[in-house]
Amino acid sequence: MPPALAACLPGGVLPLGVLHEMEPEAGAEVQHGAVVAGFAARLLARLPDSQQGGGKPWLWLAGRGDLYPPGLLALGLDPGRLVLACGRDDAAVLAAMEAGLRGGGFGAVVGEAGRLTRLAARRLQLACLRHGTTGLLLHRWPYGRPAGAGDETPSAVTRWRIGVAPSGEGGAPRWRLALLHARGGVPGEWLVEAGERDATDPVRVVAELADPAAAAQRRRLG
Amino acid sequence: MWLPNWPILRLQRSGAASAEQPVVTVASERGQRRLACVCPLAAEAGLRVGQALAEARALCPALDVHEAVPEEDAAALGRLAEWATRFTPLAAADPPEGLWLDIAGCAHLHGGEDALCAAIARRLGETGFPARLAVADASGAAWALARCAGGGTRVVAPGGERAALEDLPVGLLRLDDRAVAALRRVGIRRIGALAGLPRAEVAARFGALPALRLEQAFGTAEEPIAWPMPARPWQEARRFAEPIAAPEDLMRALALLAEALGARLEGQSQGARRFVARFLRVDGGVPAIGIATARPVRDAAYVLKLLAAKLETVDPGFGVEAVTLEAQALGSLAGAQAALDGRAEAGADLAATLDTLIARLGEDALWRPSPLGSHVPERAVGRAPPLTAVAWPAQLPDRPLRLFTPPEPIEATAAVPDDPPLLFRWRGRLHRVRAAAGPERIAAEWWRRTPDATRPAHDFIRDYYRVEDQQGGRFWVFRVGLVGVPRWFLHGVFG
Repeated sequence: MPPALAACLPGGVLPLGVLHEMEPEAGAEVQHGAVVAGFAARLLARLPDSQQGGGKPWLWLAGRGDLYPPGLLALGLDPGRLVLACGRDDAAVLAAMEAGLRGGGFGAVVGEAGRLTRLAARRLQLACLRHGTTGLLLHRWPYGRPAGAGDETPSAVTRWRIGVAPSGEGGAPRWRLALLHARGGVPGEWLVEAGERDATDPVRVVAELADPAAAAQRRRLG
Repeated sequence: MWLPNWPILRLQRSGAASAEQPVVTVASERGQRRLACVCPLAAEAGLRVGQALAEARALCPALDVHEAVPEEDAAALGRLAEWATRFTPLAAADPPEGLWLDIAGCAHLHGGEDALCAAIARRLGETGFPARLAVADASGAAWALARCAGGGTRVVAPGGERAALEDLPVGLLRLDDRAVAALRRVGIRRIGALAGLPRAEVAARFGALPALRLEQAFGTAEEPIAWPMPARPWQEARRFAEPIAAPEDLMRALALLAEALGARLEGQSQGARRFVARFLRVDGGVPAIGIATARPVRDAAYVLKLLAAKLETVDPGFGVEAVTLEAQALGSLAGAQAALDGRAEAGADLAATLDTLIARLGEDALWRPSPLGSHVPERAVGRAPPLTAVAWPAQLPDRPLRLFTPPEPIEATAAVPDDPPLLFRWRGRLHRVRAAAGPERIAAEWWRRTPDATRPAHDFIRDYYRVEDQQGGRFWVFRVGLVGVPRWFLHGVFG
């Protein structure tokens, strides 16, 4: 994690073996969630376990099969380590995600689903703790974001929001990355840029976006 | 079906006996060496079954003599019966020289009874076994007609057994020599004459056998034929005196079946990747549940755990009178040894988790992406079983993270026809293009496509562009149609 992001996270690192949530910002991203999936893949490829070769496979669960494995290669993630699975609906994906986390054997479990109830989130979180498997829940609403989605009390350890941003000088893709909630950390918002394919950080921070409340909270803490 | 002189034919076929010389087999009978089977050449020389070997040698000095081995003859006949299962599933050996084939319901598959017989005779003749066949509703009639002197293939219409057998000697009724001699003494030589006598008197005078054989020849008595059992299927069944319906009872029944099946599989070092449990209800319904696993298993408790998750979908109705459990997709599974610290081997928990997921989502819903040698984006990814290791190349052309199949049509505006679009409308939203890269030309694989006169060849050529809109969203769009009005599609979104 780049220093600016690490400063907001508890202990300065992304906690492992717990549940993380990510959601798209607005626009068509809400429907296809490509940017969210891209951030998750960059994060996944740089989890400590994956540094040694031949680690455990990752499970990627989705409601629809439009994830294109060759696209993961450019993000530094080996598609050969993925086990892809398709569920009928959100409930099936969440139940399968819980089974995948609870059973062990996977290095991390990624699930794409829409609404997450508090109970389901709690169950996922407990399932993560059981084997120390990291869970990533990517929010995605194929038919548009329903009213009130994302306003629930956070149950996961961190919750991120990713949106697109115009690319920089060299044509490197950029995103607006917001840490909405971190247990034991503070929220923040940044403009980030894709790093090299084999960089150790998933993204490079270009600028810290003004967020007076968060900045004040950080000053108070720090 | 009758194979005359089967023991000698078998020897000649295997090359042990010569085909040009007269051949006989001999067996020891009450301390004397007597001929047991005589080939046609030897019969011409005047030899007959039952003759002493010394006498036969005197008659025919160039005799090729072999020891009779009835067990081997019977075994070879059994193998021939197995061969005959290509014509009908029910084929049994009828030692010493015959085969039973039950062709009820399968003759039409070969073009009728005559055609089937001709096919069998031809196939056997090509292999060096001249066979004589007869078809009848009654086993005894078929036996007699195949062996009667007329030769050739005889097909008897239903009900015509009596007329066909009328003039045949009683010896063709499969009677022992004493019975035949006794009948001959009272002047009964033809089957028709025997059939004309009252059945009870025949039984009283000559024993039960002639009457029984007569009835078997006329189709009024059943004949038990020992059809060889097919290989035992990997299925266990349990029937109940009283129908059961409680889930706990069904579970207990499944546990017993899983134990039995697991023990059988273990005996053969086998495991199965699929198990199907069927519940035979009293009202005739057969609800079934199935599980699939990532690798072969046979552990009863494990199979039971996966089945238990699906048992709730079974409606027992008014009760279940039998439960069967079948193992499918067998694979070899050697006994696994636990590690010294008592833990299972590495990867076992992954397989177990995959099995749970397969049970939940379905067998086709889990896969590992594998690269395929195709540059057409839709065809570049294959599906491998989730436990196989897949190696991807380290570098591939830049591809989007989401790929829409089929590509979504968009309305696009470009400055000149072979330029990237300036703006496009996708899913009702207008995107102004800020930057673009390309084109990357990808043509359809002509070797996969059937030529279609109505679509010109350039309809299958796509020019791909990576474009970024004002907000920063990055898309993969392509243009089709080098000539005329181009059509634009959005194929994917970058992450």
